[in-house]
Amino acid sequence: MPVPAPPTGRRGKNKRLRDRMNPRLFAWVLAIPATLFVALGLGLPVLSTFATTIGEAAGPLQPYIAFFTSGFRRTVLWRTMEVSLITTAISVVVGFATAWVVARAPGRIKSLLIIAAVFPLLTSVVVRSFAWMVILGKNGIVNTALLGLGFIGEPLSMLYTEGAVIVAMVYLFVPLMILTLVGVLEGIPRDLTDAATSLGATPAAAFRQVVLPMAVPGLIVGAVLVFTGSFTSYATPQLLGGERQMMMGTFLYQRAMVTFDWVGASTIAAVMTIVTLATVLVMSRLARKLNPVTG
Amino acid sequence: MTVSLTLQNVSAHYGPTKVLDDLSLHVGEGELVSLLGASGCGKTTTLRLVAGFLQPTSGTIRLGDRDLTRLPAHARNIGLVFQTYALFPHLSVLDNVAFGLKQRGMGTAQRRAKAKEMLERVGLAQFAERYPANLSGGQRQRVALARALVIEPPLLMFDEPLSNLDAKLRVDMRVEIRRLQRANGTTALYVTHDQEEAFSISDRVAIMNAGRIEQLDSPEVLYSRPANAFVADFVGFENMIPMRAIAEAGDGVRAEMAGGATLDLYRSDFTVPGRDFIFAARPEGLTVAREGKGISARISLRTYLGRAYQYRCNTPAGEIVANGPLSDPLEPGTDVVLVPNPAQCCLLKAESR
Amino acid sequence: MMSRTHPLLVAFAGLTFIFLIGPLIIIIGTALSDTTFLTFPPQGLSLRWFENIFEISAFRTTMVTSFMLAVGGTALSLLIGVPAAYAMARYRVELPKFLPNVFVLPILVPEIVLGFSLMKSVATGLGFPIFTSLLIGHALLVLPYCVRVVGASLNSFDFSIEEAAVSLGCPRWKSFFTVVLPNVRAGVIAAFILAFITSINDVSISIFLTGPGISTLPIQLLAHMEQFFDPTIAAVSVLLMGVTVAVMAVVEWTLGLTFLTK
Repeated sequence: MPVPAPPTGRRGKNKRLRDRMNPRLFAWVLAIPATLFVALGLGLPVLSTFATTIGEAAGPLQPYIAFFTSGFRRTVLWRTMEVSLITTAISVVVGFATAWVVARAPGRIKSLLIIAAVFPLLTSVVVRSFAWMVILGKNGIVNTALLGLGFIGEPLSMLYTEGAVIVAMVYLFVPLMILTLVGVLEGIPRDLTDAATSLGATPAAAFRQVVLPMAVPGLIVGAVLVFTGSFTSYATPQLLGGERQMMMGTFLYQRAMVTFDWVGASTIAAVMTIVTLATVLVMSRLARKLNPVTG
Repeated sequence: MTVSLTLQNVSAHYGPTKVLDDLSLHVGEGELVSLLGASGCGKTTTLRLVAGFLQPTSGTIRLGDRDLTRLPAHARNIGLVFQTYALFPHLSVLDNVAFGLKQRGMGTAQRRAKAKEMLERVGLAQFAERYPANLSGGQRQRVALARALVIEPPLLMFDEPLSNLDAKLRVDMRVEIRRLQRANGTTALYVTHDQEEAFSISDRVAIMNAGRIEQLDSPEVLYSRPANAFVADFVGFENMIPMRAIAEAGDGVRAEMAGGATLDLYRSDFTVPGRDFIFAARPEGLTVAREGKGISARISLRTYLGRAYQYRCNTPAGEIVANGPLSDPLEPGTDVVLVPNPAQCCLLKAESR
Repeated sequence: MMSRTHPLLVAFAGLTFIFLIGPLIIIIGTALSDTTFLTFPPQGLSLRWFENIFEISAFRTTMVTSFMLAVGGTALSLLIGVPAAYAMARYRVELPKFLPNVFVLPILVPEIVLGFSLMKSVATGLGFPIFTSLLIGHALLVLPYCVRVVGASLNSFDFSIEEAAVSLGCPRWKSFFTVVLPNVRAGVIAAFILAFITSINDVSISIFLTGPGISTLPIQLLAHMEQFFDPTIAAVSVLLMGVTVAVMAVVEWTLGLTFLTK
């Protein structure tokens, strides 16, 4: 049966937009709405926040000088740094050990473990932080258990301490670390460890000389995610640290929405942004340098 | 030091699936034996068992007078070349080659010197400081070879080492592998699915199927005297015609095929009158002729092979593929006779399956 | 058959997973408690705290707002993000090299900084209505997921298939919908799911943009916690965990859970 030709006659006068335009123009037409949205919705407001901090009458760097000379603000910054670094360190160790087991688990068990890691990750940060308020509170499980066992005479106050914030943060970020590292470990071909073994490497030597060097770039990526996530978190320090353990996120909120000190809040925002961007840039460069394929 | 490899009654399972079925194999000192078969036949499993990456469910594996069966993989001292090359991407070419020496506790200077020497032997000395990502496929394979050879293993094993290379390079590399293996006198086990590669490189070839060795012989024997229909099919006997011997005929025997046609053949163990057997022929084992003594057929399709014409012919016993001379092209529809050429045919025992 | 993992390591991993799942089980337990205070193990079993959620109007309205924001923000983001992802995959050489990085910015800039800046410039500065500001914030927040996930699908799409459709007489604009889009369906679904869950759980942006009368569920939850520390919070948490379960079920049905490990 003859097949009719496509309607070419129409094309002359009714040419489609895309057939007529040159590709560069067409690509831009498609890309411009999203690009503009980011530029206007994110670029301008964030730049305006930066501008607020240097547009001060007292001098362009005055808010930053104020920030770094104020003992309280420095304390908040160092506390945030400390909590984030400790959280990152614990998450790396716990995440790596767990990911190692998950990556080597047989199929069915592996999928179950991955679901168990994904589930908390997809659950609200508020919910996950709240869980630790229930656990660590005055009438919480830990206190009830310790009282019941007679280890303590009266409930410990564990909430609103740095430790509580760190525990909840680790809880927040360990799943992320596990999933990142399972991907990294599974990306190391089995042939490589087999090759190492066939050349006489003991399991420990194969781990140290082959697996670890190959996992380091992924480990760095995971660590950056955890560090920047902790450094800029709001809900967890708010719920478990409160006013007593103010961190950069809660401090920003307090300055902006409670004391309405927008210059101060903008300065905090600027410091957070700079620390985050610097960490990402430096560490991703390091990761790329250590990556066997791109390095 | 040259030693032999012996597998005795080795079976292996993946979960409930039996992947190796009571396999026995002996590779003599300095010999190169290939395991040849389609994917899933158990050839790679055999290699991984010898390497120690898998444990057999029963049987023993011996290398010389050492029992390897329960030895951990890293203590087996076997040089292994992978299909994927498995070069360490984070180590330079030199460090890749020196890796095995490092595991053996050799000092830095000494192992670097030795690795360098081995790289010279495979012609890659100038690439010592490069990383594997910056090498071509052929160069990577040479590094993998150097890395396996430098530890001076009593046994070398190759797992489809050439299948990621292009055709020309594949031929060069297999010559090189054979040369190095010969020069060192190392015993070698070579796994491949490529018949030409296996036949060209090996002293003996084991044709494997469903976890068993169907036949283990020199390439020459496999090529001309396959032991059964599976091997015959594997080495290119495209036509398998069931026949029955009906009577002695002079020096040979007269056989009857489906449709009642008869054919005079030479005598063999299976051609006792009254018995069924299989007449196996390569396309070049049957010459298409306008007349003569042979199988009557009618041409259905002609294709051009360069060195000959190949014809698909209809016979009462089914479709038969046969070659004909370039000097006399025949058209489809022509009635012809397929004349057997004994050197390219063989007689097989009828299978009971 | 493989070399065994050290039993101590396995035990450690087991503890990690108890650490990960335990707190969520505790929440479920406290939500079922018949007491007016939060306690675990629950004393008496009751569903009254779940009923209580729906008696508090603030929870009802914020639930609707959160859902509308998540759907609206994600839809807006896909609407502009998919064409951009397509342009970047199809016309890589025609567009500047830095362009993909533009769409990473919303994850790179701390969420809370974005929230504060939007509040300062858009909600207060330009006087945008609360819901509009929230919509902009959420669409920005999820745009990276939309562009990157759909982009990853498009990058593995063989554009000669689209050319084949055009050569068979299909107009180019039509071939996008009939040939390209169905083949990156998984990517679009994945982007939608990730974006939806990110939006519905968001705190750091919404905290600055919610205002009188309009709030989101997580923010309402935070506000409720400051005044009452009762099992209603646990009940709402269980409800939010239900959203997670629903999302994972959708992932399983549409993409298979193995998608999540990639």
